[in-house]
Amino acid sequence: MLCDDIEVDLLDGAVKKTMNLCRKGRAHYDSITVERLRPAVRGSEVPLEEAVGSAAELLEGAENLLIFGFGSSSLEAQRAGVEMAKKLGSAIDDPSSFSQGAITEKILAGEVPSCTLDDVRNYADISIFWGDDPSSSHPRHLSRFSYFPRGEKRQRGYEEDREAIVVDVRRSPTAQIAADGFFKVPPGGDADFAEALSSALGGKIPKIEDKKRMLNLATKLRKAKFGAIFTGLGHAEAIKGDIDWFVSLVERLNEVSRFSVIPTLGEYNTRGFNQTLFDETGHVNSVSFKEGVASGPEFGISRLLDVCDGAMIVSSDPAAVLPGPLARKLARLPIVAVNSSRNLTTDLAEVTVPVAVAGIEAGGSALRTDGVKVEYDAFAESGYVSDAEVVRMIMEAV
Amino acid sequence: MISVMEVYQLLPKTNCKKCGLPTCMAFAVELLGKRKAIEDCTPLVEEAKYEKKLEGLRELLAPILSADATETGMVIHYEKCYGCGNCVVACPVNVANDPKGTAIGRGPVSGKAILMVEDGVVKCVNVDECRRFGPEKVLCNACIATCPSKAIEFI
Amino acid sequence: MAEGRELTVVTFRGIFQEVQEALGIYSDGYRDESAVVFLDGGDASGLGVEAGRPLRMETDHGAVVAVAKISEDPHPGVAFMPKSPWSSQLLSGDPGEGGVLEMKRFTAKVSSCDKGPTSIAEIGEMIRGG
Repeated sequence: MLCDDIEVDLLDGAVKKTMNLCRKGRAHYDSITVERLRPAVRGSEVPLEEAVGSAAELLEGAENLLIFGFGSSSLEAQRAGVEMAKKLGSAIDDPSSFSQGAITEKILAGEVPSCTLDDVRNYADISIFWGDDPSSSHPRHLSRFSYFPRGEKRQRGYEEDREAIVVDVRRSPTAQIAADGFFKVPPGGDADFAEALSSALGGKIPKIEDKKRMLNLATKLRKAKFGAIFTGLGHAEAIKGDIDWFVSLVERLNEVSRFSVIPTLGEYNTRGFNQTLFDETGHVNSVSFKEGVASGPEFGISRLLDVCDGAMIVSSDPAAVLPGPLARKLARLPIVAVNSSRNLTTDLAEVTVPVAVAGIEAGGSALRTDGVKVEYDAFAESGYVSDAEVVRMIMEAV
Repeated sequence: MISVMEVYQLLPKTNCKKCGLPTCMAFAVELLGKRKAIEDCTPLVEEAKYEKKLEGLRELLAPILSADATETGMVIHYEKCYGCGNCVVACPVNVANDPKGTAIGRGPVSGKAILMVEDGVVKCVNVDECRRFGPEKVLCNACIATCPSKAIEFI
Repeated sequence: MAEGRELTVVTFRGIFQEVQEALGIYSDGYRDESAVVFLDGGDASGLGVEAGRPLRMETDHGAVVAVAKISEDPHPGVAFMPKSPWSSQLLSGDPGEGGVLEMKRFTAKVSSCDKGPTSIAEIGEMIRGG
């Protein structure tokens, strides 16, 4: 959530005490002493400059290069990455190509209305979490913005002025908080649920088992003054191959009230990469600069692994996240891995280049999931170089 | 939640008044509120015939006797806590005492908040300010109902 | 031993899993939070599986052993598994409709087994093609 009210006490390079940091944030801060990546070529540690040089050589040697990652990189590193992809005529992609890229692109293109999290805190009286469990992934989401706090027009917070609705396949921790506001849908049943809701909004009998409950929900949504819909990976799954049912529902809701969509993105600066690439090319992911600008699923990592002959992976762990067969394809490629810590992808890489942990060891900026820019400072000394600098160094060496 | 009856059943039920209270039921209430200790019932700890009851009572009250429990019976299960701050922002005492901090979703700024997140988990200070233990004894459950993992309970 | 059965597996992320991930993916802590499967109580009985026992998860694309857990809420026919390097080994990698990878939901053959769970080192070997 890029929280800006965190207080930290350090002792001997490790975090001693923190205030206001959630469990997950605290673990992230504690991770600065865990399995830090060393600069290495083919398993042997080398000075940073040598690793940078070898990285450049590896990338020069590739005819069809893929640059991938950046969800956990600063805006500055992301811009450098896009510049590098242009300079080298490579493809560039990020994990949004298999997660929330579709809805994010609609929002950036202005096709689906959005707002800021501060707007949500100040004005939203209904928060809908669709296939999204921010209580687990962004613990302070509900307490800082989307349900509990008081706001300008929501002076009585969650007690009187707000409602939480959860649409999910399981009783997640967020669903637990929503209590009566939890609507369980079967896996693959989201579009049918949306259809039933649309019918109910139009005053028709919805095609769903508990009709009364759906009609009550529709009434509630019709009376809302400012609604917010948060989407997660469950939602990305539900709109795979067909986003229209969701776009139609949002349009329908905006006929009766004002509803905005904010994706709950998995990494701290996924939005930054999507915006940076979108500003450059009109697309949030899966772009090739080989001949002008081309984009499409064939330039996403899942298809590119069949044709590329080299990869630079930045602040990401596709080997852990991709399906086994694709991870095996990745394993066969010459890889430059740029990251702060060791992971399954860095274990496969021919060249590894370490970076400082953003927000702790290096300053920079990022876009929050609602697009608001947040700048952060370094507060801990380290021997590590910022991610933006590393990407630039490699780019210059090529 | 432990009930007064459960505690009462494990006491001598003689109303001997050695603890300073008129009845064992009254003692049970004070025990639960941690205003009396098990040891204050001298017959229970001294007489062999109450050995099983004593053991049962220590087991029953173990959660509130642990270091996690505050004097007023609030137990925080730190291992379950997400550090999400829902309780911090929902607590009506926090809202009243810290309008520019926790009331609007931020970390506490007034120095008068009673719930806050430290080291990734919730911490309670000045729990006697909690509405449940104030003069009105309001049955407030804001910090319980808003928790995603049932990490806070009142015994 | 009861026969295996096919279940729809849906992946999710949990906070304690993410905490362990930050503190080191090679740790037992990360494995304990990730190599697990939440079964419906009835499905677990049918499989002859108790909580804490190893559970073999197999698809056409890979197999891993995780630890069975029993959910409080019923969800017959569906199993919930944290999204992790373990669950990744079970996915197909075929870009389906619209070229988007299936990452969250798949069908797996689930059966009780003797030894497990799979270690992160073994996952590393599976990725290297071993």
